[in-house]
Amino acid sequence: MIPAYPLGLLVAFASAGIAFFALMRETDGLHRLLLTDLVEVVTLAFIALVGTDLAEALILPGLVVGVSELIALSEIFRIKEGYTRPPTDTLQIEVMKTAPPILAALLVGYGIVLSGFSGGAVAGLGVIFYFLSRNPSERFEVIETASGYSWILWIVAFFTFMILPQYWFFAVMLAGSAILVKVMAKMSLIGTMRGGPNA
Amino acid sequence: MPDIGGADLFVLAFGDILHYFTPYTATLFLLALLFTGLVIVARPEGQIDIAFGGDAYYAKQTTVPEMRFRRFMAIACGLASMGAMASGDLFNFTLFVSLVGITNVGIVAAVKSRHVLNAAYEYGIVAMVATLPLFGGAALVLGTTGTLSVPALAAGGYAVPLVAKILLGLGVVGEGMAPFYAAKAEMFRAPGAPYVIMCSLSSLLIFLRVVEIVITI
Repeated sequence: MIPAYPLGLLVAFASAGIAFFALMRETDGLHRLLLTDLVEVVTLAFIALVGTDLAEALILPGLVVGVSELIALSEIFRIKEGYTRPPTDTLQIEVMKTAPPILAALLVGYGIVLSGFSGGAVAGLGVIFYFLSRNPSERFEVIETASGYSWILWIVAFFTFMILPQYWFFAVMLAGSAILVKVMAKMSLIGTMRGGPNA
Repeated sequence: MPDIGGADLFVLAFGDILHYFTPYTATLFLLALLFTGLVIVARPEGQIDIAFGGDAYYAKQTTVPEMRFRRFMAIACGLASMGAMASGDLFNFTLFVSLVGITNVGIVAAVKSRHVLNAAYEYGIVAMVATLPLFGGAALVLGTTGTLSVPALAAGGYAVPLVAKILLGLGVVGEGMAPFYAAKAEMFRAPGAPYVIMCSLSSLLIFLRVVEIVITI
């Protein structure tokens, strides 16, 4: 039997080959931007293949770098092509008025049960969905303030780990709930992005 | 293992994540620091184009918001190159290198000219694609040796695969492409001299550093 790591590497290299080939063939600017995202996913797969706790910790900065490059490039593309018109109203479908509160409540509730980073991601998904389909009036300052305070609580929890290790349980709870709020707030901002004056 | 950096001048350890200076990296660090200082105090150039076949000329002006943004990006680029010089952790090094790539794109992309934006877009796609060999190389080193610390790898006892070294080098060439991309003059046609120089300098610095790392590990 072939060991898992070399096999995974083989698959990742093959995917990278396909992605590069596609990138070589494609000439349309927007499609090339989308294809670079394909390359980015293979990059994360390379890191994930290592399969240790350290690799899990390294995926996050890798993802952040990829996302920030993608955002910067799409901004350049937008200005280059002269797309300045903000998007018009969202879809007016009946299901988008009734379903979001239920689904968002379910996701946020499950996210709070999970807590921590993954809980924040699940709850954030619910909030994104809600904001995307409801077109709410934007209150960025409130979300940003909540995000900032929860980040401080997270740091406080880390200092507790280092200075007062006997209160580790308190620090775990603090860090878990703070990162939940932080990730949720950050992700919910995506749902309110409409290219308006605040965005 | 060949030690081309010289004896350690300074080591700051956070667990196994090291920040250290050898005479080699300290020189590069000081160069980045010097140029960051120059970028902070320098004023952007006023570029002048002569109209062909006459004695008319265009004087290009850099607006204050554009100048601020480019200066900020150039300072961030300098800080990222300094970080890449001082870091002794392979993955941190790759993160700093990709940050250099992003800020290089930012320095150029602030200019609202179609030629310059086109060139910046192409360069940005190359920089983004280059994260694959860059992070792939670092992950391969971690997967085969179990450590990312450059001094630990340099101490010997680990077999770093050649393909990981090649991938690392390739990634840095992609991220800090400016010197290899000199033929693409559109990018450097943008007015605002001191900031564009930061692109070339940071690319040169990260390239020199990755050569040292690849030879040492």
